[in-house]
Amino acid sequence: MSASVNLTRRQWVAGAAGTAVLTGCGRAPGQLAPVSILRAPAYSEDLYGLMRRIIEEHHLDVRGKRVVLKPNLVEFDQNTVINTHPKMVHAALEAFRAAGAAEVRIAEGPGHRRVTLDLADSAGYFSTVPQFEAAFTDLNLDEVSRVNLVQPKSKLKSLYLPHTVLGCDLLVSMPKMKTHHWVGATLSMKNLFGLVPGGVYGWPKNVLHWAGIDESIADLHTLFPRTFAIVDGIVGMEGNGPIQGSPRPMGLVVAGADPVAVDATCCRIMQIDPRRVGYLRLAAGEEQLHEDLIPQVGEKIASVAARFALLPGLESYRLAS
Amino acid sequence: MVSYSEELLERQNQDGGWRYGKVGSSWTEPTCYALLALASGEVYPHNAAGSADPAARAEAMRRGAQWLASRQRPDGGWAPRDGVDESTWVTALALLLPSSLTAGLDLNHASQWLLEQTGRESGWVYRLRLRLLGARLDPTQQFDGWPWYPETAAWVVPTALTLLALHRFNRPLGDAHVQKRIREGTSFLLARRCRDGGWNHGSTHSLGYDSDSYPETTGLALLALRGATPAELGTALDVAEKHLHETRSLESSSWLVLGLLAQGRSPSAGSVLPHEGTVAVALAVLAQAALQGRNLFVS
Repeated sequence: MSASVNLTRRQWVAGAAGTAVLTGCGRAPGQLAPVSILRAPAYSEDLYGLMRRIIEEHHLDVRGKRVVLKPNLVEFDQNTVINTHPKMVHAALEAFRAAGAAEVRIAEGPGHRRVTLDLADSAGYFSTVPQFEAAFTDLNLDEVSRVNLVQPKSKLKSLYLPHTVLGCDLLVSMPKMKTHHWVGATLSMKNLFGLVPGGVYGWPKNVLHWAGIDESIADLHTLFPRTFAIVDGIVGMEGNGPIQGSPRPMGLVVAGADPVAVDATCCRIMQIDPRRVGYLRLAAGEEQLHEDLIPQVGEKIASVAARFALLPGLESYRLAS
Repeated sequence: MVSYSEELLERQNQDGGWRYGKVGSSWTEPTCYALLALASGEVYPHNAAGSADPAARAEAMRRGAQWLASRQRPDGGWAPRDGVDESTWVTALALLLPSSLTAGLDLNHASQWLLEQTGRESGWVYRLRLRLLGARLDPTQQFDGWPWYPETAAWVVPTALTLLALHRFNRPLGDAHVQKRIREGTSFLLARRCRDGGWNHGSTHSLGYDSDSYPETTGLALLALRGATPAELGTALDVAEKHLHETRSLESSSWLVLGLLAQGRSPSAGSVLPHEGTVAVALAVLAQAALQGRNLFVS
């Protein structure tokens, strides 16, 4: 295997520990990291300053570190808003570079289409991010190592995972705020499906579906527990998400060092009950999802919440008013 | 084509296999497509004097075939790459290679492995579970296709590639069981057309909503459905030509050229993005060969 990288367990553990330090793992047990709810009316130049503010507010010291930005790239449809907006990703790229990161890569492994660069081109990444291809890694075709799952919630015993994310110091999940026709909402934790390599499992990564979608999301969260989350809620998607729903302008960016807390907050903003979302329950337990346990910075949930349309049959996910 | 040829040869690793990108270790998929492209005769490496160097091509093919032969697993299949402990859909690609490259492969064993694979949704356990739950079987799930990965559902790409492989492998045999699987697989593809007439990854209708097709899967499905009647294909050829006009992907446009040629159309590709992966480069070579009358997927 020429040019292969052999990631030892020691290296993997060391990387995970580094990430834990970067994302404020020093909190007391049971205490969730704060979640920022920030106004961002449009995909404008203001996003560059907003990203720098997020890095400062959450004390992300990335000097000399390798950062991987993981947007949500699924399919392209000019009539709706499936993917994380490229302006969000470029603003984050510039902000982490300015914060002293040794390397910032954009990485994604789309679940349906094999032709990742074509998808990224359609979604506007080439025209928005200078030298996009040089900064991008297709996680579907990256080098992989098998990682065993300890006490998995799904039927999986192990997963092959890409070296780009196993070896980074900080993984930043950058999903779009969307409803999901199977699991209620797709946010920073569900976005981790894109880490699983299509080159091994195929397009779609159907092995995750058969192993249990909620359970697989919870397992991926266990593997990458200290992922930093920045959610594109400037224009979200409601209804038949994650692909065929309708645009829902919200003018928000939601961020934090605890994906469970960020996703639970986004659910409340969408007026979805996080305690009904299976993967959040599996990852944290119902009690940990209580609103009072999640410190909020910036806007209050009540001041920005909007009733996202849900498909018929998903009314049980609705947050009681 | 010289630039694609040179790029293809430059991407061969020291171990004889091919990587997906400009750097990285060898994977089965790019190795198979690169070998197929070399076998097309469209790859012309040049020596220092700028002359075509058939010896360099022959040596690259020999090393690639050797890499592939050394990776066949005890169950007859191939894993996507070293370090992955499971045979998968890439096994079909080995069966697509011409006989000059398969001397070291156990093709009977490989085809047997492929024939043992089915979509999990077509198994009796899944269907019994549906019946017990009172759910109806989706009409598109009644035909048996092939999965990407064992014990998962069948999808368009692995089904199309396995059909191409079995057509080639079974031609001299005429085995009844293989013929049955080919018929089922063909029906699977025809049932999985999207509302626009083309193909996506294989989920055409979910929760009451229809999906649209992708360029690359539409081209590949048309290639695998060579011999289907115009009535069976419906608007698929027009959709493919529309995709070909719009796509900027070298991989997508190459599949579309291969598929349209197999269906008797005369395609012409537009401009494409530069610098794609090894699979795209190999497919571009194969599409060029097909435009000159040598479609290695079906000949």
